[in-house]
Amino acid sequence: MATHDPGTKSVPLSITEDEAAVYDRQIRLWGLEAQQRMRNATILVVRLKGVATEAIKNIVLAGIGKLIVVDPDDVAEEDLGAGFFFRDEDVGKKRTDAAKSRIESLNPLVAVETLSDPSVLHGEALDKLLAGVDMVCVTDLDRSTLVRLNDASRRLGKPFYAGGTYGLLGYIFCDLLQHDYIAPDRSSQKDAAKNVRNTAVYVPLKTALQHRWTGMTRRQTKELNPAIVFTILAVWEYQVVHQGELPDDPAAASELQSIANRFISEADVNKQTLPSIPRELMETMATTAAHELSPVCAVVGGLLAQDILKALAAREPPIANFFTFDGNLGGGTVVRMSMP
Amino acid sequence: MVAAKTASAFNPNVKITPIHANIKEPQFDVSWFRGFDIVLNALDNLDARRHVNKMCMAANVPLVESGTAGYLGQVQPILKDRAECFDCVPKPTPKTFPVCTIRSTPSQPIHCIVWAKSYLMPQLFGEDEDSGSELDEAEKQGENAKEIAALRKEAQAFKAVRAALRAAPAEQASSSSAAKIVFNKVFHADILNLLSMADMWRSRAPPVPLDFDAIRAGTFVLNRPSQNGSATPTAQAQTIGGAKGSSATEKQLNGTGNGASSSTTTAATAAAGSAGLKDQRALSLQDNLELFVSSTERLAARLRAGEDTISFDKDDDDTLDFVTAAANLRSAAYGIPGKSRWEVKEMAGNIIPAIATTNAIIAGLIVLQALHLLRRSYALLRNVHVQFKPSMPLSAIAMCAPNPACGVCRDVYAEVRCDPARVTLREVVDGVLGRSGEGEGEGPEEVSVYEDKRVLSDPDWDDNNDRTLESLNVTRGKFLSIVDEDGEYATIQLAIGVLPPNHPTDGPALILPSPLPKPPRREKPRPATPPPAPPPTLAGKKRAAPDDDEIQEVDEPSAKRARTAADLGGVPFTPSKKRRLEEDGLIMLDSAGETIEEDPDVIEID
Repeated sequence: MATHDPGTKSVPLSITEDEAAVYDRQIRLWGLEAQQRMRNATILVVRLKGVATEAIKNIVLAGIGKLIVVDPDDVAEEDLGAGFFFRDEDVGKKRTDAAKSRIESLNPLVAVETLSDPSVLHGEALDKLLAGVDMVCVTDLDRSTLVRLNDASRRLGKPFYAGGTYGLLGYIFCDLLQHDYIAPDRSSQKDAAKNVRNTAVYVPLKTALQHRWTGMTRRQTKELNPAIVFTILAVWEYQVVHQGELPDDPAAASELQSIANRFISEADVNKQTLPSIPRELMETMATTAAHELSPVCAVVGGLLAQDILKALAAREPPIANFFTFDGNLGGGTVVRMSMP
Repeated sequence: MVAAKTASAFNPNVKITPIHANIKEPQFDVSWFRGFDIVLNALDNLDARRHVNKMCMAANVPLVESGTAGYLGQVQPILKDRAECFDCVPKPTPKTFPVCTIRSTPSQPIHCIVWAKSYLMPQLFGEDEDSGSELDEAEKQGENAKEIAALRKEAQAFKAVRAALRAAPAEQASSSSAAKIVFNKVFHADILNLLSMADMWRSRAPPVPLDFDAIRAGTFVLNRPSQNGSATPTAQAQTIGGAKGSSATEKQLNGTGNGASSSTTTAATAAAGSAGLKDQRALSLQDNLELFVSSTERLAARLRAGEDTISFDKDDDDTLDFVTAAANLRSAAYGIPGKSRWEVKEMAGNIIPAIATTNAIIAGLIVLQALHLLRRSYALLRNVHVQFKPSMPLSAIAMCAPNPACGVCRDVYAEVRCDPARVTLREVVDGVLGRSGEGEGEGPEEVSVYEDKRVLSDPDWDDNNDRTLESLNVTRGKFLSIVDEDGEYATIQLAIGVLPPNHPTDGPALILPSPLPKPPRREKPRPATPPPAPPPTLAGKKRAAPDDDEIQEVDEPSAKRARTAADLGGVPFTPSKKRRLEEDGLIMLDSAGETIEEDPDVIEID
């Protein structure tokens, strides 16, 4: 099925009248055809921490066709803070085992498959897994794994989303290959926004990471909140240097700071807007990056799910291509990283 | 109860008390609100929002206000004296239409829908009340007297029709079934009646009376000199390849065949074949007639089975069928495009499209702002909007200072605890103003006293002063407004609370607040009425509160303003005292830049 065919041929309608009643309020927003596209879709979610929990809740309620969740780990006590598929007595069980029936109970119309064998994310098994899905969504993973899974998805022609949170901060990255969609032209401010066809060409994460901020004005730079962007990039780099571990110690602040400042300089960010990373931000990150806050997961997971649904429906412009959220104030911005 | 049970499972350490009640009930008085450290709203109508806002101002409790509609939403932390309250910025009032637009000269589908839902249905299936009063009102407001007289005649004829509906069913295949009688009255006789007023149609295309038998036989021809509003705005906004509803369906001009081949102006419906929900298909003139007959008969049967009155409910299929059919028939007569049942449900039912994701995002943002309020990190408070801007999907805006002319949060709040059955108006007012003991001193000298919009006393009228509060219907949960006639001092809003549980039965009937409220002097005089006046636009500067943290330099404080109160343009259409149609289901967006109906599928009434 064509997940991002904007409807040059119509999608066969198999939503029953009963289903339409359940989905009434959302069909009134995005239409019957979008609903049908969601219903036809199989989505892979990797890892089941806070962001995944929220995103899964949202896409299952919306009525996708099938969900596949992969997570090899057990439920930890700290998972209870944002993982509402888990209960006290689930600590120690496989995350996927604990959550499966609760995910299913959100919407009996959605098929749910769970996998806890880590080998399924490597080699041929990975290719086989990816071939059977329409969209990939990986959460709370380190940069190297993100790049690896992004490359594999790209190779198999699958659109790719990544999201995660670090304390009060969060991000969403997406690589939708070449994405055709329809969106209302809202720039004219008239009552009836006309629908316009668009195509967005995306790049893989490893290319996005080479993005330079050269030539952007002070205002343009400031609007995108670069401090948050580079905080997240610095945390990613920290993880690489520390065997996948996130910072969790006040002492990590200095290292984070020097990484961030190096990146800011290499990326040629407007020096008047952000000469260096605020120390306070690094100190906060040093002790909170490894911890989840449920409201931050709700915001990031909500936007992540919303974007997945928009991409499936091929309506509305999806994120292009790196969204960051500052939970301290509530703002969220999108940087176009190396996109043509 | 369900929500409490579900949420409790997420964290058994949190005590959740579900209360199934209306927040405006008297037991939720100022004392009750004061018992909370913070209030989070998840309301869906203006009236309740205003109420909670006022209670939180009175109790001085932080409030987080919020709303969502489709893809958009926002969060607004509210803190007395530090930020704008909900009423500092006027909110657009729900749209109402003039009586004559609804009753005589509709020009849009919504007029016909409102007519069917709020006029025809109550006339036929509602309480037997005298609709003459609203015509009296319209006349007073200066609407055309001849028109009003014609409408009065129409109302009288309804009595006969109502009787027909409630009578025992006639023989089968009767050509004078109740449905046909109704049809001939409203779609034929009444239209002829209107046509007799030539003036009305001098510069408007006149309606065409419908012929029941001809439509049924498929031989009816609508001779229209010109098409009115042939393509509504929603037609152009149809998505390619989507079968989302047949808005802008032209009515069947020549009744050929059995309700097939209704011409549509939407390429979408054609392209998608007949994909779409049953409800979304376009209805021909014949379809509407048959639907009208069938729904009228079903409703009449319910009346005969014992239902006293039937009012519109979007989830009541019989009433939705009736409103759809009646609205479309009227539209046909007036040359207005019809609507599918799907669309009528949304327009008549005030449905706001909703998705889980926007609500989840707003919920998360509410909690993040709530944490700042609880920790008193006031410099970190922001109004946050979910918007359609690709580079900034979430916009966090600095708070604005309260509006100095706000009729809600600039008043001074205090509470009296009393037995309303014993204490008098004079005792309360004199007590609060400090007149009972010491000398005059500061404060207003001449006052008027109100409860909501009712005047209870003024300097020239003190008849009520020795009456008990209860006899004046001033009871727990309500407020007395003490307004300085000279406009020099701020208004005192006095919350009425109950005596404490351990109060001796022979103790005083009144416990005054301590210390007494000291209303500050106003900057400029105000009118004597309590409702909020439209404020001047603020430049968005923040006034530093005394013990505020160092104020951070943040994003441009471009305060987004709601539109000023909508110009209602005429007599509001209120068919019966009980119906408050447009008020419910309206989600407020406090943002001039955003409008709700960005998506072409969303049909918005306002």
